[in-house]
Amino acid sequence: MTGLILAIETSCDDTCAAVITGAGEIRSNVISSQQVHDRFGGVVPEIASRHHLALLSPVLDEALRAAGATLDQVELVAATRGPGLVTALVVGFSAGKGLAAARELPFAAVDHLHGHLAASFLRPAEFEPPFLALIASGGHTLLADVRDHGPQLRLLGQTLDDAAGEAFDKGARLLGLGYPGGAALERLAAGGDPRAFAFPAAERMPGLDFSFAGLKTALLYKVRELGEPEAERRRADLAASYQRAIVAALLIRVRRALKQTGARRLAVGGGVAANGPLRAALAELGVELEVPPPALCTDNAAMIASAARYSKALRFPAYLGLDVYATGAQRL
Amino acid sequence: MRVLAFDTATARTAVALMDLEAGDNARPRAVLDLALVDDPAPGTRPGHARLLLELVHRLLERSGGGWDAVDRIAAGIGPGSFTGLRIGLATAKALSASSGVPLVGVSTLQALAVPAHGRGKATLAVIDARRGEAFVAGWTAVQDPLTDVPALAPQVLAPEQLAAAAAALGAACSVIGDGAVRFRDVFVRGGAQIPADESPLHRVSAREHCRIAGLQPAAPSTSIEPAYLRAADAEATRA
Ligand SMILES: Nc1ncnc2c1ncn2[C@@H]1O[C@H](COP(=O)(O)OP(=O)(O)OP(=O)(O)O)[C@@H](O)[C@H]1O
Repeated sequence: MTGLILAIETSCDDTCAAVITGAGEIRSNVISSQQVHDRFGGVVPEIASRHHLALLSPVLDEALRAAGATLDQVELVAATRGPGLVTALVVGFSAGKGLAAARELPFAAVDHLHGHLAASFLRPAEFEPPFLALIASGGHTLLADVRDHGPQLRLLGQTLDDAAGEAFDKGARLLGLGYPGGAALERLAAGGDPRAFAFPAAERMPGLDFSFAGLKTALLYKVRELGEPEAERRRADLAASYQRAIVAALLIRVRRALKQTGARRLAVGGGVAANGPLRAALAELGVELEVPPPALCTDNAAMIASAARYSKALRFPAYLGLDVYATGAQRL
Repeated sequence: MRVLAFDTATARTAVALMDLEAGDNARPRAVLDLALVDDPAPGTRPGHARLLLELVHRLLERSGGGWDAVDRIAAGIGPGSFTGLRIGLATAKALSASSGVPLVGVSTLQALAVPAHGRGKATLAVIDARRGEAFVAGWTAVQDPLTDVPALAPQVLAPEQLAAAAAALGAACSVIGDGAVRFRDVFVRGGAQIPADESPLHRVSAREHCRIAGLQPAAPSTSIEPAYLRAADAEATRA
């Protein structure tokens, strides 16, 4: 393909549009984060969806402008179809279909998780399959055996309750930090002792699935047990110990998965990949490691465009009747 | 002027395409009049996301022309279902940006009022706002919903306020829309007149959007926003 790929992502609370070349080179990657959910301690779907509609046109314009491109150069339009918040997804998905339809362009409906995996395929990294992938975000935590570029997800394990980013966010909330709290918790933890408290990493849970619900409860009980003044005084120790447990929980399963699959290469994605201690621990695994830059780890549309290169693009008008999905992998 | 219009504020997906000419009293007259609607089966969710572009495509095919023959896109801005409005407006803005055809936003309450108004009576358009409330806008007997700003501006009302709102517009006010059907008893007790539940006057047709848009200047599409009429925070704090 010689033309450009224009992609849209609105599955959660970031309004994203990106332009990449047919060869996987990023021309623009615009992310408009909605910093309006803090006071609710989580994403409110109606607020997120209103922002998506208000922000999408300017974000699309900016993605084209930054790419130095016009719609005339776009050969394929892509948008995230799911999983995610339905009311948020339909904004970007409807816009993507509409942009394509008025020009009778082909359209690719992309799975969000395929997008996270495909972030590694982009230039300049061009991290090629096969590899083991760890995706740890606010909505997902999973291990996948990536054997090719395609949308079929070979899931090795996933979280049975909270996502790793959610665990960071809930812990941060208990420690009086804002939302999302992962980065703030990491900063607080930097001044604390990670061994001050022993929090569970679900070590004894066999297999490759994750569980973070017990950890969150353990922190809650510890904070109550210490009482307010003492918990306040030892916030940094609590944060460091809590973070250590999340990182340990991830590492245990990554090691098991590397052993089980015999993989020698590992790609990481999702917002939690920004976490310093996690990156340091992964770097010591002795495998070839790919951690895309932060803008490609958190939700973004460049990764959706990348996945579109390896998805089945539908010709006009075959895609007009497509709808989004909240959960599961209802792929084409 | 060729106008392509749609509305997704209620459960119905409504699409229309009209060629308009200047008629008597500067009221537009349709020389080509095509419309398609889909009503979801009772108990099922509206099909806007799946159906809207399908219906638009079918109408364009029937019209025998493409986007270059369309002079204006008109989209219903509600009030109504928040998700429905966003599907409609996200689609409308994208179609407009991609085709270069100017976009006009049309009040769904106004579109409901146009065919119901007449015979010297006031008209109150009512859309079910869920959570036991109603979206309303009203025109007095001497007003024309096609061109006039409603005497009762679009707003959300509780059931106990509805009868008084209709009565204030005029005696034997005619009340239409899915909210009129939903709150029929309240209105009838207050002396208002409501067509039978099956009457097409209760349902949104995008054909009125074409007529209304034909009389309006196109605005920059960034200025077109849904008429939510209810704060998003209300959703967040809902128990
Ligand atoms: N430095 C960090 N350490 C730990 N967690 C972090 C850090 N930076 C961000 N996070 C966490 O990453 C998450 C956000 O990542 P991302 O944008 O990928 O998630 P999301 O919007 O929930 O997306 P998805 O739909 O892919 O699940 C939040 O939970 C946030 O707390």
